[in-house]
Amino acid sequence: MKSIYKILALTLVLTVFVSCSSDDDTATELIGENSVTLEFDNSVGSDDLLLATSSYTNSQNETLTITRLNYIVSNFRLTNDQGETFTYEKDDSYFVTSEETGNTEVVLENIPAGTYVSITFGVGVDQEKYLQGAEGQGDFLTVAEETNMMWSWQAGYKFLNFEGTFTSETVTETTDFKVHMGSHGSSLDNYKEVTLSLGTDALVSDEMSPIVHLVADANAILDGAHKLSLSEQSVIMVSEEKSPLVALNTASMFTVDHVHNGTGHSH
Amino acid sequence: MKYLFWVLLSVCLVSCNNEEYLPLENTLLTVEVPENFPDLVYDIEANPPTQLGFELGKKLFYDGNLSSNGFISCGFCHEQNFAFTHHGHQFSHGVDDLEGTRNTPTISNMAFFNEFAWDGATSHLDLFPIIPITNEVEMGETMTGVINKLIADSEYQQQFENAFEEGGVNAENFLKALSQFMVMMISSNSKYDKFVRNEEGGELTEVEAYGLSVFQQKCTTCHATDLFTDGSFRNNGLPPNPQLNDVGRAEVSGSVNDNYKFKVPSLRNVALTAPYMHDGRFGSLESVLNFYANGVVDSETLDDSLRTDNGLGIALSDAEKEGLLAFFELLTDETFINDERFSEY
Repeated sequence: MKSIYKILALTLVLTVFVSCSSDDDTATELIGENSVTLEFDNSVGSDDLLLATSSYTNSQNETLTITRLNYIVSNFRLTNDQGETFTYEKDDSYFVTSEETGNTEVVLENIPAGTYVSITFGVGVDQEKYLQGAEGQGDFLTVAEETNMMWSWQAGYKFLNFEGTFTSETVTETTDFKVHMGSHGSSLDNYKEVTLSLGTDALVSDEMSPIVHLVADANAILDGAHKLSLSEQSVIMVSEEKSPLVALNTASMFTVDHVHNGTGHSH
Repeated sequence: MKYLFWVLLSVCLVSCNNEEYLPLENTLLTVEVPENFPDLVYDIEANPPTQLGFELGKKLFYDGNLSSNGFISCGFCHEQNFAFTHHGHQFSHGVDDLEGTRNTPTISNMAFFNEFAWDGATSHLDLFPIIPITNEVEMGETMTGVINKLIADSEYQQQFENAFEEGGVNAENFLKALSQFMVMMISSNSKYDKFVRNEEGGELTEVEAYGLSVFQQKCTTCHATDLFTDGSFRNNGLPPNPQLNDVGRAEVSGSVNDNYKFKVPSLRNVALTAPYMHDGRFGSLESVLNFYANGVVDSETLDDSLRTDNGLGIALSDAEKEGLLAFFELLTDETFINDERFSEY
């Protein structure tokens, strides 16, 4: 009986010793898996985006009131400090973020533990997914329909649905604008991918589920690297020249503002 | 004792219930590619047609509940007798007596095509039904609305459960069932087919043989293969209807280079599918031939094959027209339009 206690004691000592020593070697050893939350914080320039409330004047001297900003984000990949990339399960990788419903958070589940330094994602739905037919779309079709992201006469998706009203020097009456961007059947693929450095390492483990706070600057959609004037064309839906520029501008609107490392979903 | 009774009763009820929900035996259907056809395009592996999936797809195809008013089914505009076109209607008719702007195309041999609708608005058969269902002047519904109606119907619930291993009533299985029905709709038993496959009943008369040779000489640049289309989008020189100004493929691509281009239609069962052209402007095949001979108008996107040294269009003598009209009759597939597997009643 005594020997059992001895063994137990020894085991205990060893356990403590081993765990201490492992702590000493790598103070940040991350094990297990957890979720990574991405918050898409929509803004216009340095201002918060308030739908149908504030107006925003861009560099082309057009003043916009925005009533809708929905976009599809997809195909998430996270790269760690070893340069290894974790690709999120493709079938679960399509989300609509919508300012009007307030659904602007994407939660990626079961991300393996690690120190992540960058994130890559797509804006829209890639052709590979689309061409899987019913099998590939699953419930995303109805999700898209309910969020005004189904393009019924194209039988496809709007990658971006950006609407509101505007005035400018030449258009003095308040006029509606609509920018709907997606791929054009089989003739033009407007799906784009973005890679962003996280700035701060995002730590994932059984204990840690980081929140990545991204800012999407809606001003970039029309007033980014490619200037698109609403006075010239206020409805941009299927334009061989303009839609690809909208796609490029939209993909460039994202930045990582900061990363919260910690536990739970609201740290 | 009272309790025992209730326990027994619920056991009975549960077991009865269970029996009702026992999955039916389902069998795979074979999609047979006719020997004179090109390869299948549709990915059968991704959605293998089964007997129960096909039957469900057929029921959906003929169900008016897919539309907002409960009356306009797919089969309303796609009538089997006319090779699944809307006979006698220039434009497709929809809910509330609304009218579309394009003529209903045939549904046959869909599994062999890459692009769907006159303008290629989708490049996957599965996703095609979204267009008429959600079009305000056709079925005027939403996908979500349709799925909710089906979920509320216990018979459909059971049919979905029986037809698909997972998922039950949802958009994916709904579209898969419709595709399973359409994939099986193969028209390949016309007199022409019997002729090219050297089968009984394929002997051509003199005028039919002449028509075939004229066709091969003057029409197969676009109406290629035994599907009688190369699947491309072309401007065939129709003067645009100024009231509609339908730019066709350019609606989808946004490219002015695609203005007034429409998908080259298959000519299978063409003698049954009047009226003709994307806007149903011609009531007879004679008019169509007269148009190609005399009516083609020039524009920036007119197809090059219709510009010749002798002018625009396709030169056709009266004898050639007569031959072609005889040839078109060869493409009528009585087996297909009478096939009970596809019929509503």
